[in-house]
Amino acid sequence: MSLVGAIGNDVLTLAAEAASTASGSGPGWMAAVPLLPLLASALCGLCLAGRIRSKLPAAIVVLSIAAAFAVTLFGFLGRADGAQVITIFEWIGLSWGSGPGETLSADFGFYMDGLSWLWMLFVTGLGSLIALYASEYMSGDKGYARFFAAFALFVFAMACLVMGDNLVLLYLGWEGVGLCSYLLIGYFYKRPAAVAAAKKAFIVNRIGDLGLAIGVFLTFVTFGTVEYDELFRMIDEGVAANGQPLEELWQTWTIPLLLMVGAFGKSAQLPLYVWLPDAMEGPTPVSALIHAATMVTAGVYLVARMFPLFVYDGVPHYALNTIAWVGTLTALFSATIGMAQFDIKRIMAYSTVSQLGYMFAGLGFLTTTGAAFHVFTHAFFKATLFLCCGAVMHGFAGQLDLRRLSGLIHMKGWLIVSLAMLVGCLNLAGFPLITAGYFSKDMILSQAFTTPDSIVPYSSLMGWILLITAGLTAYYTFRVFFRVFVGPVEYEPGDEVHDHGHDDHDTHDEHGHDHGFHPHAPGWAINTVLAVLAIASFAAIGTYFVDKDHHGWVGGLLHDSSAAYHAPAHEHHAAAPELKHGGVMLTAADDHGHAADEHAASHEAGHDDHGGAHAEAGTLFGQDPHAVMYYVSAAFGIVGIFIAWLLHYAGRKTAAKSKADLLLPFLGPIPTWAQNKWYVDELYDILFRGPLWLISHLFHIIDRLLVDGIVDGVGGIPRALARSLRVGQSGILQNYAVGMAGGLGVLLLIAWILTVAG
Amino acid sequence: MLLVLVLWPILCSLLIAVAPARQARQLALGGSLVVLALTIVAAFMFPWDDGASYHSLGLDAVPFLPSLGVEMSFGVDSVAMWLIILTGFLAPLTVWGSFTAITERVRTYYAWLMALNAAMFGVFVARDIIFFYVSFEFTLVPLFILISLYGSSNRKFAAIKFFLFTFLGSIIALAGLVYVAWKASADIEGWTFQIAALQEAARAMTAREQAIVMLAMMAGFAVKVPLFPVHTWLPLAHTEAPTAGSVILAGVLLKLGTYAIFRFVLPFLPIAVNEYAPFVAVLSIIGIIYAGLICWVQTDVKKLVAYSSVSHLGFCVLGMFALNSVGAAGSVLYMINHGLSTGALFFCIGFMYERYHTRSMEEVGGLASRMPVWSFFMVFFTLASVGLPGLNGFVSEFMCLLGAFQSGASDIGAGGTVGQLGPWYAAIAGTGMIVAAMYLLIMVGKVVFGDLREPAGHGDDHGSLPADLTLREIGVLTPLALGCLILGVYPKPVLDTIEAPVAQVMAQLEVEPETMHAATSHDTIVKFAMQAGGSDND
Amino acid sequence: MMAPVLAQASEELLTNPTLFHYLFVSTIMFSIGVIGFLTRRNMIIMFLCTEMMFQAAGIALVAFSRYHLNHSGEVFVIFVLTIAAAEAALALALVVLLFRRRESLDAAAWAEMKG
Repeated sequence: MSLVGAIGNDVLTLAAEAASTASGSGPGWMAAVPLLPLLASALCGLCLAGRIRSKLPAAIVVLSIAAAFAVTLFGFLGRADGAQVITIFEWIGLSWGSGPGETLSADFGFYMDGLSWLWMLFVTGLGSLIALYASEYMSGDKGYARFFAAFALFVFAMACLVMGDNLVLLYLGWEGVGLCSYLLIGYFYKRPAAVAAAKKAFIVNRIGDLGLAIGVFLTFVTFGTVEYDELFRMIDEGVAANGQPLEELWQTWTIPLLLMVGAFGKSAQLPLYVWLPDAMEGPTPVSALIHAATMVTAGVYLVARMFPLFVYDGVPHYALNTIAWVGTLTALFSATIGMAQFDIKRIMAYSTVSQLGYMFAGLGFLTTTGAAFHVFTHAFFKATLFLCCGAVMHGFAGQLDLRRLSGLIHMKGWLIVSLAMLVGCLNLAGFPLITAGYFSKDMILSQAFTTPDSIVPYSSLMGWILLITAGLTAYYTFRVFFRVFVGPVEYEPGDEVHDHGHDDHDTHDEHGHDHGFHPHAPGWAINTVLAVLAIASFAAIGTYFVDKDHHGWVGGLLHDSSAAYHAPAHEHHAAAPELKHGGVMLTAADDHGHAADEHAASHEAGHDDHGGAHAEAGTLFGQDPHAVMYYVSAAFGIVGIFIAWLLHYAGRKTAAKSKADLLLPFLGPIPTWAQNKWYVDELYDILFRGPLWLISHLFHIIDRLLVDGIVDGVGGIPRALARSLRVGQSGILQNYAVGMAGGLGVLLLIAWILTVAG
Repeated sequence: MLLVLVLWPILCSLLIAVAPARQARQLALGGSLVVLALTIVAAFMFPWDDGASYHSLGLDAVPFLPSLGVEMSFGVDSVAMWLIILTGFLAPLTVWGSFTAITERVRTYYAWLMALNAAMFGVFVARDIIFFYVSFEFTLVPLFILISLYGSSNRKFAAIKFFLFTFLGSIIALAGLVYVAWKASADIEGWTFQIAALQEAARAMTAREQAIVMLAMMAGFAVKVPLFPVHTWLPLAHTEAPTAGSVILAGVLLKLGTYAIFRFVLPFLPIAVNEYAPFVAVLSIIGIIYAGLICWVQTDVKKLVAYSSVSHLGFCVLGMFALNSVGAAGSVLYMINHGLSTGALFFCIGFMYERYHTRSMEEVGGLASRMPVWSFFMVFFTLASVGLPGLNGFVSEFMCLLGAFQSGASDIGAGGTVGQLGPWYAAIAGTGMIVAAMYLLIMVGKVVFGDLREPAGHGDDHGSLPADLTLREIGVLTPLALGCLILGVYPKPVLDTIEAPVAQVMAQLEVEPETMHAATSHDTIVKFAMQAGGSDND
Repeated sequence: MMAPVLAQASEELLTNPTLFHYLFVSTIMFSIGVIGFLTRRNMIIMFLCTEMMFQAAGIALVAFSRYHLNHSGEVFVIFVLTIAAAEAALALALVVLLFRRRESLDAAAWAEMKG
């Protein structure tokens, strides 16, 4: 036998697996979804090597991602109920026994359920749109092929993350998207800020990744597997691989905590959010796709994916409660920073952090549907917002300061951008009834008041914080809109002549911007994409009304996934079958009946998204929160918009000044603090980076002086010995003779002592 | 076959030494390509289905001093075979990569380079400790000469330190091995140095004896690895060595230490290993974090990568002393992966050094705009080194950490195994992943990205070389990059084939409590010695 | 008073010498040789001192040889004398050479072996 034999066997088993795959669990051609972008990335690499300067890479990438979208859509339409497992090939495999947990197996395979379908649809869909946008946005840049290679690689990694059928493949995608994020943030590699931001993003993410990795280890040690299929089966049965019931194991609540750390890193939650605002150094399409729509929602995906473990009955839910609180506080905290920023792209970045906070809070309140729906709507409207910012940046030579731009809507060629921006802002602000963002945020907010305190302590307090944050969100969103897009026409071009590298065609119309700068309006690709996205942001409302049983199309998808938790087989199901449709089984065994009634009741009300409410469901103003929330959140949103109008639009004559400046004296140093991001970066520098840097230097010194010193010291012993002895080697004959004589004398003396005296 | 593998490089070495200097390069390249070809032939001859037992692929043994029982006996299992493949794979690359770097005394250089290959093959194919030890020590001589003749400014000191440090260590290891041989020979006439016989004898020793022998062996092998705190020769040797020397040093020589631990310490001394595993693991974890943090403040890019080797090898040793299959398999895989990615990083740095004659990150930076192709490879191999999933470093690092995590966690769940470590070890070692990301990305950020910085007065002159990589240099790096990619995406061939030998070693590590102080089972030793002697006569 | 006693003793000693007397002379000669070797720096004098030590040893050997009625000591002395003669020729030749190099007979001029 030979190496070839061994590999040949692999190929045979692979083929056999492929055959079994085709007949059984799912279509093998789904592999095209990650592999097409990968292929495109490789082709772009070839373009890069071949120094092709045309738009070929963009065409390849747009087409491949669009094809991936088509494949996803095709697979989605023909999907079977429940989860499908598709194994492509064996990746890591090692066994050291035949018992449970004695085989480490992580395949390159997919686990397709509602959750992964949902994510893949918007990842590939938005991916192809944003790639199209970037084909114009990035045109003329030297690194065109490099950009698209990394872009396509990102889609590949994201597909692995979302579609992977085990935690190790998820980890691959997890780090893979981190890599692409690193490469793309640092795309303008000559700018020190970009390089530093890229590094920061990767390192902060690595901290989260460590949590995730340890979570995966612990999962494997506990369950003996990392594959979802088997994992969920075991969680469903409530026993670990060694037969112990999960209620008795500390891992049952520790694993969620560890996975949560990973999710916080990737999704930029407190305290690991610091990388995301800096990540705006990357090209804007990247910010739109990676840092707003897709990658940063991976944390939400992870929690939703492993939700059965997060809500496992009978153990404390530290992870969920932490997620709720961290999400809420992140939402508020980053909203306050967003209010004080002047760079519109940064404002959008902080709003992303804030909205991610909403999603996490939603997960914490046990409404995975709300969280996922918010991810879905947010993906569209935030991509729209970023792409609009990008168009502005593109047209005004890198100008992003809202004090230096005004009245864009009145300028020729900027209508579509301004309207798209308006749509995005309305969504983000949660303008009632006509925006999808309103409905998705509403779902989370109302659940905060519905979920009883016995499950999530102080959930109504968090609800109020989130409501206030919603008002703040509306304010800072429309602060941007009223300052930049309406009002008197005024602009000042940015100082970066070709921020995104328009070497060729910018030279003639932008270089002389001091005298006669002409903003250059976006072309067809950017306008088309913005129009499509703006429409899609609106159209997303439609999905809310599609599948009424499950609170919208997204809810329907999630119901069919791991995020919808099914009751453990050994309890509940006889008494309360319909509870399976709801989210969470925190019901004490003796009052299911009651819970079922409650659940049915709230179902009738039509808004209870997940029937966590077994005890008294929470209320808001003595009413069902789901009903009242429509009005309350609408009020907060409109008030926020109104204040923004009052302070930033009404009576504003110039771009630089508005009425808001009048308030500054009354607020003392607070606006400055908020503008400086509450000095969190500086705090981290003092707390972590500084000491670590000191320790490193200390270690370096210790290594050179102490550790190496000991080594060299040992090496020096013979030398020192020799040096001390060489004094005797005077070279003078008589000294040697004296030595001889003396030595002889001593010997004689010893001999005499031994023989005579002894 | 294995004998040919050892003899051919020696033959080449002699040939290069006597041939005209003009042809030294061509001869060396041709010879090393034949080495690669021989390795491939050996790989095809090797019965991978039976990777756990030793195969001589032809001649079993060459008697050397029959009266003393000394003979050169050959045999490889799949772990050794993979390391031979790694060595054979790197051989032509190191020769090819040195074409422009070495312009003086070329014959000496290539002759010793080939001799080094022979010695490394010798270590991997040896089945008796005399042959093993001679090869193990002989690796020092070529490298000593390569460093002291072709190194940079402080080369003499580095070479002497390297030589004495590792030599001192391995002398102590030899004492340990000889003690075991003495025990094994107690009941037979004459001596036996067969590893198999020695293994039985060593396993029968008392716990106290095992502990002392383990200390002796670790003294030698840990220096070679190198494990904290006996690592200080490595940064110096790496910094001063010529590029090919660094590549071989990182690529294969360091693995001699881990290989020897895997081959001798683990199966020979199960009681002591079980007892002292946490101690070794703590040392490796200290090494991981300590060396990683030191990397952070380096300005010399080659020294940085050298320290990162210390950090990385810490993962390797940690996985091995997890004493379970996942950890050990990850550790073996790590040996191969580290050889590829770190070896390649040294090539990259060497190519930069040839152009700028400095390794200081303060003098050179932002090379992406000057050397885009080089930058691509640099970033690629850095990411492989960081342990990015999809590239080779990840699988092995993940498995080493998982192994450490599982180890001793059998009370937690079914996925836990016996062993002395546990989740905390893995968690603390895991912070090394963050540190690795920090220092390697900072290095890339300075050297590759940012504004272009070149040494003052450098101008456009790169000596005889173009600004970016030549086809030859790309040809050197591409096979390494492909290796990193393939092992990252499809490590299964390696994992499948090392599963059996790893399982065997793990089985040997299981100690029955009552055997801890049992008397020596002389019968087994005698039987083994007889068998060894018998095969001698056939 | 004392003179006759001394005279008698010396007469007895001269007419009736014992082993002790021979060894005494040998010791004195050896000591003179050692002290001369250690204190003088002229190479020729030092060389003569070594010859003196040789001869002291020769006297002792002959004396013991006579004392034990055994001729090996005398035979040995013949050897020593032969070697001393050869050595004297060689050593003086060396001294002449060394003198030519340094224009000095001082042994300290040749302290090059100092470590």
